[in-house]
Amino acid sequence: MRVYFPALLLLWMLFVPSVADLSAHPMDTQNAAFVQGVDGAAPAPFMYLGAKHMVTGYDHLLFLVGVIFFLYRLRDVVLYVSLFTLGHSVTLLAGVLLGLDVNAYIIDTIIGLSVCYKAFENMGGFERLLNWRPNTRHAVLVFGLFHGLGLATKLQEFTVTENGLVANILSFNLGVEFGQILALTAVLIAITYWRTRPTFERHSFVANGALMVGGFILTAQQVYGYVFYP
Amino acid sequence: MEFAIQDKVDPQSVSKRKIGVAAVAALLVAVLVFTGAVLPAEYGVDPLGTGELLGLLALAQVIAITTEESEYRTDEYELRLAPSEWVEYTYRLQEGGTMLYTWGATGPVEYNFHSAPDGAPPGYAESFDSAESASANGSYVAPFTGVHGWYWENAGNEEIVITLSTAGFYRDAHVARDRADGYRDLLDARGDPLD
Repeated sequence: MRVYFPALLLLWMLFVPSVADLSAHPMDTQNAAFVQGVDGAAPAPFMYLGAKHMVTGYDHLLFLVGVIFFLYRLRDVVLYVSLFTLGHSVTLLAGVLLGLDVNAYIIDTIIGLSVCYKAFENMGGFERLLNWRPNTRHAVLVFGLFHGLGLATKLQEFTVTENGLVANILSFNLGVEFGQILALTAVLIAITYWRTRPTFERHSFVANGALMVGGFILTAQQVYGYVFYP
Repeated sequence: MEFAIQDKVDPQSVSKRKIGVAAVAALLVAVLVFTGAVLPAEYGVDPLGTGELLGLLALAQVIAITTEESEYRTDEYELRLAPSEWVEYTYRLQEGGTMLYTWGATGPVEYNFHSAPDGAPPGYAESFDSAESASANGSYVAPFTGVHGWYWENAGNEEIVITLSTAGFYRDAHVARDRADGYRDLLDARGDPLD
């Protein structure tokens, strides 16, 4: 069986729900109504929302695909994903607790560019074209911080009540990690299988090109939204 | 199985030119997809004419009107509730059928708006709004075909009069009540006895 993974990746990008929404992935109105109606701690619903956000949030997922693309050892996968998790958890908690009012379009633009950055790095672009390579671990941590700010702005778009706030953010955060593990497992299985095929060597460059296209589309959407729907 | 450890595409195998071309191509493809598909489908903006050509513009249209097959009705009812009496007042609505309503009472009553889908076991109902109030108004879109309506209960010591106005696509008003002794039956909007 010959599976053409770049094509699969593109297909997935096209068919993941809400692929081209104005903000990358708003919670739908029904969930929003729920969040606004909540008074007090509601761990399970907030965990569900966090997990759903991650599984259907292709901007975070594309970035993670880029991050684990060339990670062959489980130890490295765990290390990088932990750095990413550390980054986004810090800013998610701090952002909501401090009520940081960051423009969602700007954050989501940076998140889109983070996908382009990782794809470019995977292509060997930094070394070959710029003779310089950023420290990948630092980059993943820093972009994790931005992804967390994105999560925080999404959660703050709804009036989350003070009552049970910390419990609800923590639940949301925990849900994000569950969703991430779920999605990562699927991606890791697919990539690991692909690596055993001769097509991996040939098409990994193209696949990262496709990843870059996805990143640029996300970026274009956010810039357009920033300009025309402020 | 042994894997060679590598953390990027082998730099020796890819020329500078190829990376540069790929990055620029990625940007161009993204701009093309964005202007050709995302803009018309999401924002109704069609700079290349591809939205018209591929029918993507239809995705951007906001559905502001839903046309209805069934008869449009407006009704006004007056209900009297003796102390500790309750009444349940329901309509039949098809799934997606809409109704506007407003009601006011001469005193606070306990109420809820609830619905029971066709085929649900007896006594099963989903409650959508429940409070103690002297008035409420809003719009309702039936989430399923079945009976939909209000329950009011007079928890006070004096008779309460409730006036309900509805408009929309419903039919078959139905009243169930627990009457205090000696209380008269209700008439519907046409003056016919209910039940």
